[in-house]
Amino acid sequence: MRHFEQELEQLKGKLLEMSALVEASVQRSVAAVTQKDRSAAEQVLRDEARINALEMEIDEFAINLLATQQPLAADLRLVVAALKINTDLERMGDLSVHIAQRAVSLLSEPVIQPMVDVHHMSSLVESMVRKSLDAFVANDADMARSVLSSDDAVDSLRTASYHELVSFMEKDPRNIPQALDLIGITRSLERIADHSTNIAEDVMFLVKGIDVRHHAEARQ
Amino acid sequence: MRHFAVELEELNQALLEMGAMVESSIHCSVQALVDRDERMALRVMEDEKRINQMELDIDARVTRLLALNQPVAGDLRLLIMALKINTDLERMGDLAANMAERAITLSKVPPVKALIDTPRMASLVEDMLHRSLDAFVKRDAVLAAKVLPADDEVDSLRDKIYNELLEIMQLNPSVVPAAIHLMFVARNLERIADHTTNIAEDVIFLVRGVDVRHHATESKV
Repeated sequence: MRHFEQELEQLKGKLLEMSALVEASVQRSVAAVTQKDRSAAEQVLRDEARINALEMEIDEFAINLLATQQPLAADLRLVVAALKINTDLERMGDLSVHIAQRAVSLLSEPVIQPMVDVHHMSSLVESMVRKSLDAFVANDADMARSVLSSDDAVDSLRTASYHELVSFMEKDPRNIPQALDLIGITRSLERIADHSTNIAEDVMFLVKGIDVRHHAEARQ
Repeated sequence: MRHFAVELEELNQALLEMGAMVESSIHCSVQALVDRDERMALRVMEDEKRINQMELDIDARVTRLLALNQPVAGDLRLLIMALKINTDLERMGDLAANMAERAITLSKVPPVKALIDTPRMASLVEDMLHRSLDAFVKRDAVLAAKVLPADDEVDSLRDKIYNELLEIMQLNPSVVPAAIHLMFVARNLERIADHTTNIAEDVIFLVRGVDVRHHATESKV
């Protein structure tokens, strides 16, 4: 294997380490909400520093790789995609921290009924996260495309739970603080789904060389 | 091949043009909210499409420059920063369009409260964006560092708005939907401020070669 290919593999390896951490944080933050698991929330808060450090490490590694190897065409696209995916992963880590923080404030509250939607939404989001990262590892454009279609389902679940939570607040103002936390959580889940979509779009760009961002027709 | 310096200058201009458009979108979305001006809000939503196109163009331009010129050291870092700034700007455009949508919804219901802190927050954020981009084109780390403290002011305005709205909602649950929209507007402005500090941190990194990301912020979590 050429030296350059080894470095590319190393870059992918670092991104995989980062994505495994982020995927675990997303899962733990959701468990912290749905199962009222305080230790899961605390683990998410602890792992954030490692995710942030890895983000900088990956950026640095990619920039050095560009400087020393001067890759072209597909290799260049891969490094640029790695930089973008890195940014998305770090942001997903931040969002799981937000969810974990809200989970902690919900620990002492009784579970209110719309939580059912949070379960459903979070399992869909978790599968999007997993699929987008698997698609990146396997260079699989079809798997990446399947992530894009889930995004609409997440959006409509979020809208439905939003309306439910609002009517809950209107019925009894004592529900307001808790419902606001849940609205924040579903909003963060929706954003995590958006970042998974970004990653899937980057994978499609890598594999097919077409930019599907902001172009609904190219996604088909 | 065209001269690299000329290409870099054009890239700067493209980023500034995009930045100016994002700045105006932030301003107009909040103005539309205050004035209950649906037409102005619709214009912001139209402009978002142009901002999206600018993002794609700038990414393509940077990738081409990386491929054709194989820059090293400072120039390479500059191009990577341009990619990151591009991503931040596009996201700010999204957040402004989201505020514009909320402005339209809110223009159809009675006002919840007088909006004083929200436009104040918006002008702070616009100023942060303006200065961070200025620091980028001037490669001025000192200017960039001055952007960072304003973020705390934005955060405390956000908390103030949030607490006020919470109180209003608890007293009068019929305004819950409208109050939530206003909370999200404050949250979006706070997120936009975060993106401007990303840009400022990138500039400091570019000039000093020191990564300031994740140092000041860690203790806040």
